[in-house]
Parts: sequence; C-alpha cells; structure tokens
Amino acid sequence: MSEAYEALQAAALIAWGDRDDPPRPLIRVDISTSSVAAGADLLLDRLQAALTAGPIEADLLRVGSLGLSWLQPVLEVQLPGKLPVVYGPVAPDAADEFLAAALQGVGDAARWAVGVRAATGQDGVPPLSASPFWAIQDRRLMAQMGLIDPESIDEAIATGAYASLDRALSMQPMAICDLVEAAGVGGRGGGGFPAGRKWKFLLGAPGPVKYLVCNADEGDPGAFVNRLLMESDPHLVIEGMAIAAKATGASHGFIYIRDEYPLSIVRMQLALQQAAAKGLLGAEILGSDFSFTLEVTRGAGSYVCGEETGLIASVEGLRGMPKIRPPFPAQRGVFDKPSNVNNTETYANAPLILRHGADWYRERGTPSDPGTKMFSISGSLTRPGILEVPFGVGMDELLLTAGGGPAPGHTAKGIQPGGPLGGLLNASDLGLALERPPFTERGVLLGSGGLILFDERASAVDLTLYFSEFCEDESCGRCTTCHGGSQRLVEVLRRIMAGRGDANDLARIGAIDRTLQNSNCLHGQFTPYAVRGLINFFREELDIHIDQRRDPAQVAPELIRYRISEPADPALEEAAAICPTAAILREQPPAAEVDDERPDEESPGEESAPLVPGWRIDDAACIRCDACRELAPNAVVVQDRVVAVLQPTAAEFGSAVAGG
Amino acid sequence: MERFAAALQQLPREQGQVMAALHLAQEELGWVPRDAIRLIAKHLRVSDAQVYGPASFYAEFRFTPPPKTLVSWCSGPTCRVVGGDRLRRIFESVLECRLGENGPKSDDGESADDYGLWLGQCNGTCERAPMVWVNGRVVGPLSMSEAVSLARRIKDGEQVVDFPQQPVKIAPAVFQDAEAVYGAEQAPASGAIAAPPTGAEA
Repeated sequence: MSEAYEALQAAALIAWGDRDDPPRPLIRVDISTSSVAAGADLLLDRLQAALTAGPIEADLLRVGSLGLSWLQPVLEVQLPGKLPVVYGPVAPDAADEFLAAALQGVGDAARWAVGVRAATGQDGVPPLSASPFWAIQDRRLMAQMGLIDPESIDEAIATGAYASLDRALSMQPMAICDLVEAAGVGGRGGGGFPAGRKWKFLLGAPGPVKYLVCNADEGDPGAFVNRLLMESDPHLVIEGMAIAAKATGASHGFIYIRDEYPLSIVRMQLALQQAAAKGLLGAEILGSDFSFTLEVTRGAGSYVCGEETGLIASVEGLRGMPKIRPPFPAQRGVFDKPSNVNNTETYANAPLILRHGADWYRERGTPSDPGTKMFSISGSLTRPGILEVPFGVGMDELLLTAGGGPAPGHTAKGIQPGGPLGGLLNASDLGLALERPPFTERGVLLGSGGLILFDERASAVDLTLYFSEFCEDESCGRCTTCHGGSQRLVEVLRRIMAGRGDANDLARIGAIDRTLQNSNCLHGQFTPYAVRGLINFFREELDIHIDQRRDPAQVAPELIRYRISEPADPALEEAAAICPTAAILREQPPAAEVDDERPDEESPGEESAPLVPGWRIDDAACIRCDACRELAPNAVVVQDRVVAVLQPTAAEFGSAVAGG
Repeated sequence: MERFAAALQQLPREQGQVMAALHLAQEELGWVPRDAIRLIAKHLRVSDAQVYGPASFYAEFRFTPPPKTLVSWCSGPTCRVVGGDRLRRIFESVLECRLGENGPKSDDGESADDYGLWLGQCNGTCERAPMVWVNGRVVGPLSMSEAVSLARRIKDGEQVVDFPQQPVKIAPAVFQDAEAVYGAEQAPASGAIAAPPTGAEA
C-alpha cells in the first residue's frame, strides 16, 4: 500500500467515525432516481425538519439505493447497540409518525419494517436474507450500494475504494490486462467480449494520446442497472476506469451518460471533482508517475449512441451516427486517437478483480460468463427492482421467486430481455439460465441486464410493433437499409395489428429481415430480433391476428370495442363521467341509427349491436382506454370486433419488399 | 440570451463542446432558438451547420419553447405492457394535442403553450409504471381513470405537482457532512473501525 493511499484511508476512517456502531440513532435515507420518484426528497426534508425541531436526536445520512425499488421510499434506522433495520415504503406525510416509532425500537414501526440488514433478525423482524428478493443475491458490485453516501469520497475510501487502483499503480500494464483477462469479465453491455483482451488492443496501439470511454448511455428502455451503479457507488466506476487507464496507457477518459439520468450526471461529476481533489485523478496519481484525467459527457437522447462508434461520434460533438468497423476504436477512436469503449458495469468489475484475484472472480458465474451481473427486473411483477446474481441463475428464480411474478390472477406470458434489439421469449423459457449461450441459441440477446416480464394482458404483436417503431425512430438514418427497412417492417406490423394482415406478410417480414442484415451497424441488423421472437415464440397469437383478425390480448384498438352489459348498474354514471371522449351516452337512440353509424362493423353472432336502455357507447368516439371499465367493472365489457376484410391500400402494399 | 452568451464564453473553442453548448442553451433558455445556434457556432469557430446537425439529431434538443406544464409520457416497454399506450390516448384526447405538441390550440391553430404532451424516455422508475412526468416529477402508477382526472386538471390549468422542481435539485445543504455528524474529536482511534461494514452479506 502506498504512503499516499494510507494517508487517504486514515483520513477517511476518521470521517467514517463510529458509523458501524453509532452512539446515537443513524438514519440512512435512499436518495436515488427511484426513491425520489416516490417522494424520498420530501421525506428527507420532513425528517430533517423534525430533527431540527428537536427534541429527538438522530443523524441523517443520504445513501444510494439497495435496489428495493418497489418499496421506495426506503430508509434504514440503526439504533445504538442494535442492528440496522430497513423500512419502506415510508410516505413523506408519515415522517413524524415513523420517526417517533422507529427511534423507540421496531415496535410501532413494525408495519414499515422490511428486514434487518444483518445475518440475524431482531425484535421480531426477520433478516433481509429471509426475503426471496435478497436471498438469491450475491452482492459483489453492490456491496456498498445503499450503505454509503455516494456524494462523499471519504465514505467510499473508508469502505475500501481506490485500494485496487493503488495496487494497480505498482503493476505492469500487461499484468493488469492478463489478470482481467484471466478473470474472464466480459463486456456487460451485452456483447460479452473479454475486457482484458480489449484492453490489450489499446495497450498495443501507438501512443502517446489514447482515450478511454465509459458507455453509460444505457439506452435500452427497461434497463437501469448502470443508473443504480452511478447513483449509489460512482467511485467504483472511476476506480475501474483509472485501473483500465493504467492497464492501457490511456491519458484521458470520457464518461458518456445519457441525459435521462440527471442524478447520475450530478453524482458522477461530483465524484470526479472529489477524486481529483484527493489526487486519485489528474497528474501523478497517488504519488506514482501515472497521470489520468476524466470528464463527464452528457448524451442527449439518442439510442444509437449506445453503439460504440455512435457514442464516439457523440463524444466528438457530432451527430451520433455509427461508423463501419474497421477501423476499430482501438485503432481510430475518439478524435481519431486509439480508444477503448466499455460498459459502466464492465469497468466497475475491475476493482473487484484487482482486490480479490481472478480465481475469486471465477468462483461465481459460468464458464462462458464468469462473475456476477446486475439485473433490473420490471413489468408484471410484485417486486420490481435491481439485484445482483451470479451468471447462470435461472430466469424463473429472478423473475418469479425474487420478483414475485405477476399479481394474483394473472399468468406470465413472456419475457423481454436485452432491450429493443433483444427480442422476445415465451414464458415457457422462464427456466433458462441467465448467461449468454442459451439466449443466443434462441435468437435473442441477454443484453445489458434489463428483464421485463409481461402477462396475458399484454399483446406480443403490440410489443413487437412497439420495438420495431422504436428501432425505426432511433435509426440514425445513415444507411437506407436500416431506416428504410425498419419503416417497411413497421408498416407491415401496423397493418397486422389493425387486423389487416394477410397470408403473405410472413414472407414480406422475412425479406425485410434478410435485407436488414446488410445494415452498417448492429442497430439495423438486430432490429428484426423482436419480430423473429414473435414468429418463433408467439406464432399462435400472430396467426390469430392475421387469419382471424382478432387480438386475444384485447389490446389493439382497431380489434376491440366496449359495450354496456349491465345497463342498470349505477356505477355507469361515474363511468360516463370519466370517459375522456364522452363516448358513453345516456339517450337511447333508435335501433337503425346505431347500425348506420359504422357500416363496416358487424358484430359476430348477433343481428345488431346490443340495444341497452339508458346507456350506449359511441364506438366512433371511444378510444378504448379502459377507464370506464375500471369504474364499472360489472357493467362494461370488451368484445372482439371483426373488421371488414379490405385490400391493403397501395401505399401500404407497394412499399413492402416482397409485396404482390 | 445575454446570460447564455456569457456562460458560453466559459467553454473551450472546439467541436467537442457542441453538445455541452447545446445543453447550456437548453438549460438557460429552455430550448434551442436559432440565435443560440449562431452564437454557439461563432464561439466554437465552426459552421452553423456543425451545430445545427447535432442539435437536430438528438431528441433532447428542442426547437420550440417548452410549455408551462409539461407532461412527458413514458414511452418505455414496461409502461407499454401495463397499459402505457392507453395512457397516451387518454392524454392526447383530453389535452387535445398529439404527442410532441403543445396546447391548447386557439381557433387560428396557434398553440398557447399552457401545457404540452411530449415523449419521455424510460429512465428506469419502472416500478411506477404506467407513469408520466409532470414538469419532471414522476406521477404513477396511474390507473386509467386517474389518468383522465389528472389530464383534466392539467387542462383546467391546475397545478397538479406541488413540487415542480427537477428531482435532482436536492439542496446539498440539508445533509450534514461526515465531520458534522461525527466530529473528528469524537471519532475513536482508526484501528478500531478499520473493517468495512459487513452488513451486505446478510
């Protein structure tokens, strides 16, 4: 350990004080994007006000997130001589009441208690590990998340941050690359390319100026592990990048953070300043002859900037359009200098490997994907959140056991892994091990860690259309193959969704898919993954859409209609009032009028639309939003609506690749 | 605009600062007007096109002023599987503007910018799906009937979010820093507390 680091750690431990065994109550409040969305900033204000007013004595500490998103706002109370207890959700309005109860011991605060953050329970509260959400986790990267103040470098150093950098500074660059390669950490953005080998490319590139880039764009909607990482333990990322810089000879680095993560940007910038002030970044780091500087670059809402060459263009201040590789970034990257791009989580693994060694690292995970991985789980779940598990854990363990699966009365229908380019999986594949090979075999991507579970209320066709629209919208426009191809794909899917698909559509989709494979970058090439998932795993549903012009999930507005089934239900009054388009009408029209309004609409198995005294729903005005059914669940029903069989219009038809 | 022009002077004169300059414009002015693009180009010594190119590429940069009340509809897939698209139809029909537009429209088609319905990108508060942001504040999970009520209140000009500030503007002053919490003189000898907390293995 270098003298410089020893001095830093001694100072940090003084600042850390007796936090492990506080002399008076210590309250840790989770302040992260997730908790603020639930009002944690207001809760903190209330707690602060209550403590300022006295006479209660306690210390308030802002921390990152444990990942218990569904329980937000989450906080933790540690009483002198007691184990820390996690509570949630604590509404801001309940701050005073909570404080009074929790500071007396669990007692009256039991209704908020989640678990004891220790190996054993206390005062009737079980340990967190008794919760299925916690039990399957192996928190290595997340070890300090939710425990330390992400805005204090002292807390990070007191818990071991930058010790690995200190060690790396005394190692040869090639030895660091070898160690990281031996650990087998793969690119966490989803590519899985061995980080150590990638670093060697940059190490071997001619200097003197080389750049590191941290891909914190996390553009996949529904994936938010990098956000938690940056908001809860930013120094882990900085340390990882500094180690990578030493290993590759890079002199400067860019942390490219998407603009949708303002708190990550603020905390990362603050962490950079603090690290520089402590001599952990800048010239002659920790008294060595190694220098490295870092800066934060803000994205501005572009999905293709998650592709490494697009990201580099964005760092350069250009339109974020991907380029054809080669040249690879290690040959010509940022400002034409050799560069290395890794995902945030990839860099964050480096300090762990330096500290514990490659063998320790490989104790977890699988041969193809060693180590642990952070996953964000959401969708039809009772416990959405962020957790860290070894690669190879079953997806069902993550989504059904830890995440709690769909709410009672609903059944899992499918999984969406890996973002818009990741594809779709049927719920029958829930048993898949979370590592890349089984996913790749099925033609889907495990991706960067987002997993979305959906139930029978969601339509696989609708989801496919959604992801295809997303890819069309986010296509950078450089190659016609991609932007034109995704447009054609969307046109075909929109038609199918509206009940106007035909038997040739699968052939058209196939032709579009083959064409998209000629796109310049992965964005175009992976755009058809969603529709492939639809065809491979939800074929029955797709066929019903095309052949019967019916949506079994009752999502497509064109294929359903709302009807009054119980005209005497008094709840209809309220339902009519909530209708955003005033489509629930009180007067009783003559029978003829009802049918004349929509000549193309014939209800199956009935002569005419049901005539209901008192109320009717105006089909033309109804936007199928379901608000009325929420308020009058026993009086409003959804029916399949058969659309007239029309030939596709020339515009829709002619543009399809295999059209005609 | 003067404040923006002054702040712009702090940036180094290079192409790599285009994004930072555009962000600065959007922060200071709320949007990116044509004059701001000229100013940036002049300061960075690049052509107007080298600024307009990126400005038009990235969804975040807006060429129209923001409305007083901004509803950002979350376009994420998690929201989508729990009814997000129905949420969009509700806001569109109640606010009488399409996604990406401001409203209400007057008779001559001009939008008054009292409120707007824009597309928001998923930022991973998916446990609150389906949701919208109102002036940057998450509102959700919303049932469809709640969404109708919320949209109507916005249309009526009601302030529906009590705390219109951006969530990140958390004043650091409310936190006691480590020294204040544990005065250095109270701290025990460092050797006694050298071990990092072990609770995480629990």
